[in-house]
Amino acid sequence: MSLISTATLTYDTLRFAEFEDFPETTEPVWILGRKYTIFTEKEEILSDVTSRLWFTYRKNFPAIGGTGPTSDTGWGCMLRCGQMIFAQALVCRHLGRDWRWKQGRRQTDNYFNVLNAFIDKKDSYYSIHQIGRRVIWVVSWEGPASFLKLAVFDTWSSLAVHIAMDNTVVMEEIRRLCKAGFPCADGAAFPTDSELLSNGYPPAAEVTDRASPWRPLVLLIPLRLGLTDINEAYTETLKHCFMMPQSLGVIGGKPNSAHYFIGYVGEELIYLDPHTTQPAVESTEGGVFPDETFHCQHPPCRMNIGELDPSIAVGFFCKTEEDFNDWCQQVKKLSRIPGALPMFELVERQPSHFSCPDVLNLSLDSSDVERLERFFDSEDEDFEILSL
Amino acid sequence: MQSQQKNQSIRPFKQRKSLATRKEEVAGFRAKFPSKIPVIVERYQKEKYLPPLDKTKFLVPQELTMTQFLTIIRSRMVLTATEAFYLLVNNKSLTSMSVTMAEIYRDYKDEDGFVYITYASQEMFGCPLLMANPELQHSFGPGSFTHLQPTSG
Repeated sequence: MSLISTATLTYDTLRFAEFEDFPETTEPVWILGRKYTIFTEKEEILSDVTSRLWFTYRKNFPAIGGTGPTSDTGWGCMLRCGQMIFAQALVCRHLGRDWRWKQGRRQTDNYFNVLNAFIDKKDSYYSIHQIGRRVIWVVSWEGPASFLKLAVFDTWSSLAVHIAMDNTVVMEEIRRLCKAGFPCADGAAFPTDSELLSNGYPPAAEVTDRASPWRPLVLLIPLRLGLTDINEAYTETLKHCFMMPQSLGVIGGKPNSAHYFIGYVGEELIYLDPHTTQPAVESTEGGVFPDETFHCQHPPCRMNIGELDPSIAVGFFCKTEEDFNDWCQQVKKLSRIPGALPMFELVERQPSHFSCPDVLNLSLDSSDVERLERFFDSEDEDFEILSL
Repeated sequence: MQSQQKNQSIRPFKQRKSLATRKEEVAGFRAKFPSKIPVIVERYQKEKYLPPLDKTKFLVPQELTMTQFLTIIRSRMVLTATEAFYLLVNNKSLTSMSVTMAEIYRDYKDEDGFVYITYASQEMFGCPLLMANPELQHSFGPGSFTHLQPTSG
């Protein structure tokens, strides 16, 4: 529908006019690791969806940087999706996956603390103002990196954020990251170059639970599942990501318009759409403020998996080490499903040459050069022989 | 002449040479370098961020893993560890990073005998207005937009 095919058209004009209800199907609905049956659990499905924090374009917020924009309409959708996936991590961390929001019901301080971390003002941990200052995120998919940097300051949540590059998840790196940062003899306080993709944590950080020295893990895996279209061989694996209890969903979209995907039914992905401009909400001292606009109270949008742009980032949350071990087991099982191509690889440790490309000495050896010279005519200059 | 050369380098390898020519080339490589895999590495046509490579054809040791190959190409482009970079075999598959070139060759080689690999970063969403808006650029500070690239639409 044209509603979502044009990036600049928001549904302001339509104002929640018509949202298609769930299809009548016996296929299960999966929402962030939970399985539902449409015929008997429709209310539970909608309650689960509504409970997710929904971040949209906003207008009339305090100017970014004091003199900058007061609205993110037209450019902030990627940021909003980043906020949504990260907010889901904070919900799991502080409120739990079973927590539900209900209009009119008084929520806990913890809930308002989570929400407050995303309110559009400069001193919220993960506000658009903060991300804006850390910039890269706005303009590139390297972006989740800025959440990683912001998370360092959020001592309340004490999260370990890891971004797995090159479609490879290295278990050893994650264990090291999650177990690091607790008061110990190791004096290294800030990330070194090799830890660039994980947030180093000041050793003085508050530790409340000494018994389980594992910082809750937010794992983000940016992927490219094809060039122009998503390779069908990945769709089953992608669906399975939403079936894992550790799922934080997926950020991705269609060209020029980002969505936060939280589940699927049949061949359709279920998502929250940030492309609606709402007035900014001011949080108040002491916590409680109007929060209805941060919850999507209409049936969520859906789109066919085949329409998904191949650039995505998949997210997972592992509160404990057991959660992480369980996740690893599930990923390993996933690789044995016939017909499903793994989207990323799980390895115990980084191959040694990986962190240190210099050990790969790939200069031409002289015998190769000689043979090459005899072999090629002069026009074929765009050629190279690699030797180990 | 100059511009003709440039055009040639933009056109995909497959369109520059006939199937017969490509087959002949592969046969030549295999005879001279039996332990090496002939690989064509090209930039995704719509790629806006990653630089072009100066070479298209590579003869790669068959025991080289995808991880190693990716590391080599990454270092050629002088990318930092946080920059998204993907190698897609036959325009669609991110293969397991631990497979060797010999395995890739076995499973994915083209009818002409080359393995075709395309490299690409990630697409961005929803920021075409950002780059057109100097006010925004200003408030996010100088140097913020080094990674910025135009998106269509």
